[in-house]
Amino acid sequence: MTERAEGPWRVAVSGVGAVSGLGWGSDALWTGLAAGRAAIGDFSRFDHAQHRTHVAAEVPEPDPVFAKTLKGRRLSLADRFALAATAEALAQAELPSLAGLAVGLYFGSSTGGMWEGEAFFADLLAGEPRLRASLLASQQPNGPGDAVARRFGIEGPVETVSSACASGALALGSALEAIRSGEVEIAVAGGADSLCQITYAGFNALRSVDERPCRPFRAGREGLSIGEGAAVLVLESERRAIARGIRPLAYLSGAGASCDAHHMTAPEPQGNGAAAAISAALRDAGVGPEAILFVNAHGTGTLLNDAAEWHAFERALGDRARAIPVTSTKGLVGHLLGSSGALEAVATVLCLAHGEVHPCSPGGEVDPDLGIDLVLDAPRRLAAFGPSDRAKAALSTSLAFGGANAALVFERAPR
Amino acid sequence: MSDVTVTASLRERIKRLIVESLHLDGTDPESIQDDAALFGEGLGLDSVDALELVVALEKEFGIKIKSNEMGRESFASVASLASFVEGRL
Repeated sequence: MTERAEGPWRVAVSGVGAVSGLGWGSDALWTGLAAGRAAIGDFSRFDHAQHRTHVAAEVPEPDPVFAKTLKGRRLSLADRFALAATAEALAQAELPSLAGLAVGLYFGSSTGGMWEGEAFFADLLAGEPRLRASLLASQQPNGPGDAVARRFGIEGPVETVSSACASGALALGSALEAIRSGEVEIAVAGGADSLCQITYAGFNALRSVDERPCRPFRAGREGLSIGEGAAVLVLESERRAIARGIRPLAYLSGAGASCDAHHMTAPEPQGNGAAAAISAALRDAGVGPEAILFVNAHGTGTLLNDAAEWHAFERALGDRARAIPVTSTKGLVGHLLGSSGALEAVATVLCLAHGEVHPCSPGGEVDPDLGIDLVLDAPRRLAAFGPSDRAKAALSTSLAFGGANAALVFERAPR
Repeated sequence: MSDVTVTASLRERIKRLIVESLHLDGTDPESIQDDAALFGEGLGLDSVDALELVVALEKEFGIKIKSNEMGRESFASVASLASFVEGRL
C-alpha cells in the first residue's frame, strides 16, 4: 500500500488520450472541439438503411502511426480504441513501463465488443458454416479495460463499471478514491465504446435520437446523436507527479454520485438526483459554486435531459447557474454512452489546460425556458489563472439513462 | 490414392482450415511446417484458438472430438492432428 495522497497534495492528471469522431489522439480532439466542428454525419460502421435515423459520430480510419498499438487478433474495435487512447495517455505521462508500480485500471463501458457479438449472431442466423466463436470473447463491457490491462501490464485492481451513461465518470470517481486511499500509485481511468446496432436501434426505438446532428440545450432539440471512441486519463498524486518531473495537466479534485430512483429511461424532471451528485462533488472537492469557471454538461440534446439538467444546475449552483458558461461535448462528438464521462473528462481537462471553453455544436437559439449561458460559435476564454483565484474549477456531469448520476470537479493547474 | 498422398492432402486441408477458421490473415497455409509446434511457440496459438479449431475440425470432417481428447499430443502439430483426424474418419 502506498501513502495516502491528502493534505496539500492533490490528485493530478498527468496524461490524457482520446479517440473520437474528430480523429485519433487528443490533439485531433482539441482541434475539432476548439473549432466547434461537429463530427456527426453519415457513417458506415453498419448498414443503417433500416434504422430510423442515419447519422452518428463515427471514428475515422486510424493514422498508420497507430498500427503497432492496434495489432492483435481477437481485439474488438472498442478494445483498439482503448489501447490507442491508453498508449497516448501513458506516453504523455512519461510512463514507458508500468512494471513494479502499483497500478489500477478503472474503466466505464456500455458496449464493449457488442458490435463484434452482433456480427457473430448475424453469421449464425444466416447459417454461415465458419463461425468465429472468439468474436464473443470480447463482447462484454469489461473487454476494453481487460485488453488494456493485459497490453500494458496492469496488475493491480481492474474494474469496469457499466452504469450506462454515468459509467466513465463513476470509474474516474473510483480511480480518485483509489489514489487518495493509497491503494494504488497510478490509476489508468477511462472507457471505450463502439457504434453497434443494438444501441443505435435501442435509442431509436425510444425516439431519443435526432435525425439531424444533436442540438443540446437548443429550442426545438429532438434528441441525441450516438458516437464512439475512447478516452483515458492517467492519475497519480501531485506529489508523485512532481517528484518525477511531470507538470499536471489539471487536478481531479472531487467526485459525487447519486441516483434518481425514478424511471427506467426518463430523468427525474426536477433534476434533484443530478443536483445531489453535483453538490456531493463540490463538497468532495472542498469548493462552492463560486469556484466553477464552466460546466461541461451531460447535454445530450433530448428534450427531457437538457431541461432536467438545467433544473439540477439551478438547484446545485444557485445564483451562479445563469452566470456560468456551459458547453456540451456531445454536440460535437456525439454520445459515447458508457465512456462518454471519460471523453468529456478529457475535454474538460483540455479546456482547462488551453484556458478556453470549447463551443457546443453550431447554430440554433438556446431554449428560452433554460437560463443557460451556452458557449456557441466561438470558444470562451477563461480569465488568466492566478493562484489565489477562487474561480479555478470546472464541473463535468454525466446523467445516465436509468437514473445513475455522476459529477466530477477538475481544477486547473499552472501551465 | 496412395497412403502418402492421402496423408499429404489431409495435412494440406488441415493447414488451410487452421488459417481460415482462425483468421490468420497474412499466413500462407503452405508455410506451416508439418511438424512445427502449433500452440505456445511455433504458430503461437492459444486455448481459445484450440476451441475454435475443434469446432472447425468437427464441421469439416464430420467427426466428434471430446474435451479430454484435446490433449497436447494430438494437437501438437499438423502431422499429429492429421493422424488424429485420420483415426476418426
